[in-house]
Amino acid sequence: MDPKPATYEPPPLIAPGHSFASVTDKIAAIVLSGRQPMGWFIGVTIGFAITMVLMGALTYLLIKGTGIWGINIPVGWGFAIINFVWWIGIGHAGTLISAILLLLKQGWRTSINRFAEAMTLFAVMCAGVFPLIHTGRPWLAAYWLFPYPSSMSIWPQFRSPLIWDVFAVSTYFTVSLLFWYVGLIPDLATLRDRAKRRSLQIIYGVFALGWRGSVKHWDRYEQAYLLLAGLATPLVLSVHTVVSFDFAIGIVPGWHTTIFPPYFVAGAIYDGFAMVLTLAIPLRWMYGLQDFITLRHLENMAKVTLVTGLIVGYGYLMEAFFGWYSANTYEGFMIWNRMTGPYWPMYWVLVFCNIITPQWLWFRRVRTTPGLLFCVAMVVNIGMWLERFVIVVTSLHRDFLPSAWGMYHGTIWDWATFIGTLGLFVTLFFLFIRVLPMISIFEMRTLVPEAKVQGAEGH
Amino acid sequence: MATQGLTTDLPVLGRLRRQGLMVGAAGLILGAIGAFAQPDQFMPAWLIGFTFCLGLSLGCLAMLMIQHMSGGRWGLVARRVFEAGSRLLPYCLLLYIPIGVMLPKLYIWARPAAVQADHILVLKQPYLNVPFALVRAAIYFGVWIFCMWHLNRWSVRQDRGEVAVTPADMRRFRVISAPGLLAYVILMTFASVDWLMSLDPRWYSTIFGFIVVVGQGLAALSLAAVSLALLAPYDPLARYLKPVHVHDIGKLTLAFVMLWAYMSFSQFLIIWAGNLPEEIPFYLVRMRSGWQYVSLLLALGHFALPFCLLLSRDLKRHPRLLARVALFILAMRLLDLIWIVAPNFNQNGFPIHWMDVSIPVGLAGVWVFLFAAAGH
Repeated sequence: MDPKPATYEPPPLIAPGHSFASVTDKIAAIVLSGRQPMGWFIGVTIGFAITMVLMGALTYLLIKGTGIWGINIPVGWGFAIINFVWWIGIGHAGTLISAILLLLKQGWRTSINRFAEAMTLFAVMCAGVFPLIHTGRPWLAAYWLFPYPSSMSIWPQFRSPLIWDVFAVSTYFTVSLLFWYVGLIPDLATLRDRAKRRSLQIIYGVFALGWRGSVKHWDRYEQAYLLLAGLATPLVLSVHTVVSFDFAIGIVPGWHTTIFPPYFVAGAIYDGFAMVLTLAIPLRWMYGLQDFITLRHLENMAKVTLVTGLIVGYGYLMEAFFGWYSANTYEGFMIWNRMTGPYWPMYWVLVFCNIITPQWLWFRRVRTTPGLLFCVAMVVNIGMWLERFVIVVTSLHRDFLPSAWGMYHGTIWDWATFIGTLGLFVTLFFLFIRVLPMISIFEMRTLVPEAKVQGAEGH
Repeated sequence: MATQGLTTDLPVLGRLRRQGLMVGAAGLILGAIGAFAQPDQFMPAWLIGFTFCLGLSLGCLAMLMIQHMSGGRWGLVARRVFEAGSRLLPYCLLLYIPIGVMLPKLYIWARPAAVQADHILVLKQPYLNVPFALVRAAIYFGVWIFCMWHLNRWSVRQDRGEVAVTPADMRRFRVISAPGLLAYVILMTFASVDWLMSLDPRWYSTIFGFIVVVGQGLAALSLAAVSLALLAPYDPLARYLKPVHVHDIGKLTLAFVMLWAYMSFSQFLIIWAGNLPEEIPFYLVRMRSGWQYVSLLLALGHFALPFCLLLSRDLKRHPRLLARVALFILAMRLLDLIWIVAPNFNQNGFPIHWMDVSIPVGLAGVWVFLFAAAGH
């Protein structure tokens, strides 16, 4: 807690001096002017190059099979599940910002919800890669993942949380996509009306679904949006809860623990907000959007990151305490092995990243200095990946029988696949910025002083 | 309720005091009779009563701290209720004293002979032993009462006008509340191990602390809903209380009902699916000899019914209707604590002993008396 003058007022949600027209001009121009900052070209180039690494890694996987990865017995779950959980978690912040903050009437969500939702979609896509390829034979994936009228009555196993995952994630993706698209419709109409080229007018026009902005349209829009927010809210909780069941339903020490559902959800939101910050801070700088994504947004996101980080820290505390309190040989050994076993550096780096680093966010100076905040967010992103690594690997590599112990390391192909999905994510994100307004134009218009004259509150 | 601005004693508070005192006296007289008739049943029932009253007070403290951190109109109207409830923490400390003295009556790990006979209990002795348990209890109450005392003291000084209502002065509430919330959750987790989980010293569940904490928050919100409905017809609330305030409290209550169900169900599903010998007895005991009906009642009464009712927007905006649902939730909170504590003691015969109800209701009656008395 740093000393501050008594008259500290939080920065405004939108910088002074903006009007309906200036907001629309500024955001629509990013898409329609055709001029992109240098950073966009650099970003797309790097992202696309890395995506090619993913393509290469996947091709080799399809040729050779999962033997190219580091997984083996005893560690049969490796990078695929670690990356899946990490990516799915990142997606959660987008839904939290767009749905839960909407229901809680948090006006500050307005300028960040659009790209946070896009981030959700792309993160879920990256996550979706891993269940599809984790056997190395994706054309068989439908056979054991998707419920179909099976005459053999063998698959799928409905009592397995892995099947619940299929439902949870696919529902989540569908609702997120709908939510994002419905929110886009009024802005697509704005782009349609502003586009100069006939082809663009047609494309945006088709996706704008004939939006004319009549009162009836707005009324139905508001209803639909609120309903979708209500639908999306439980999904934020349920998806990562089910992901946590993937582990907790088993009886492996370190996996089978009742704190997992809330701890995974908090971890997902924690990581997701860190990722939103990781994206928002360079974006506002690159496109000069400091007027719209203000320090107030960054500070609020930092606060959410801090709170969820503390919940994650509580989870670590509980794991360690009950590992000892249980007086169960295997539980106690599991936590001891995490701290002092062959993977000890991973555990302590993770403690540094996820528990110690976010404590800087107690200080307002850190929360309102974009550079520092970016560093903290990056550290958290790394820490949360390590957390999944520690959970997956340390529990499996030394379980009940010492004669069955082994070590696990990702191979170059594991890393290529993981880093490749980062490239895919970056590429998709930059494409999104290029073709769609990354900030909701019509919602931003509710924040300018003109909107307040009629006492409008925005939705 | 506790403001200096409120000089007149409201008739409703007098009625509440009388009712509280009557219920309290009746419950405790019954309890005293029971203590002679069936001394073995007394301490478990006392523990239920203690944890119920503690849940009200600590829930109020937690909600008070959340309100200082988050702001919002719901906190503004309910703040006095939370302050008054949190001020009864010393009463809860008083209720703990018999437990502290009678630890061996309640906990196997406090009986040296039983510990020596059980290898697991020997292993757990560094944590589960009488001196350390008492030291821990002192730390818990010390920290909680410290937070409660400071928040209330500044609030009173603010009311008297000795402290200005500026952002800088409001900041001192947050300086206590932010670390206070963290300390409350962590300490209550360990307290829930000490006082509830270790009744069965072999059982453990890492989410248990969260379940207890959420239950306490739910109790405080229900208390706020009931109090606001009682005070709504009188000044100053009659002037300020709007349906949106009650609506907000109702929404939060619904959120906590769902949170409690989410965590309780997660614990159940994971333990049921794992089916491990250390964990599953907790549910096995509660699924037979009559307890299965209590478990079912909890699932319906602590979750399904209030959930369905609280979905209604009209109900949440209607103070008296909301108060009825809240009273029902408070009854379910008590049942939940009975469900946690009692199966450890009478595992055959009728599940709930009459003292398990009468003593907690008596202690809660005294709590309500003190709560209403704090209002003037």
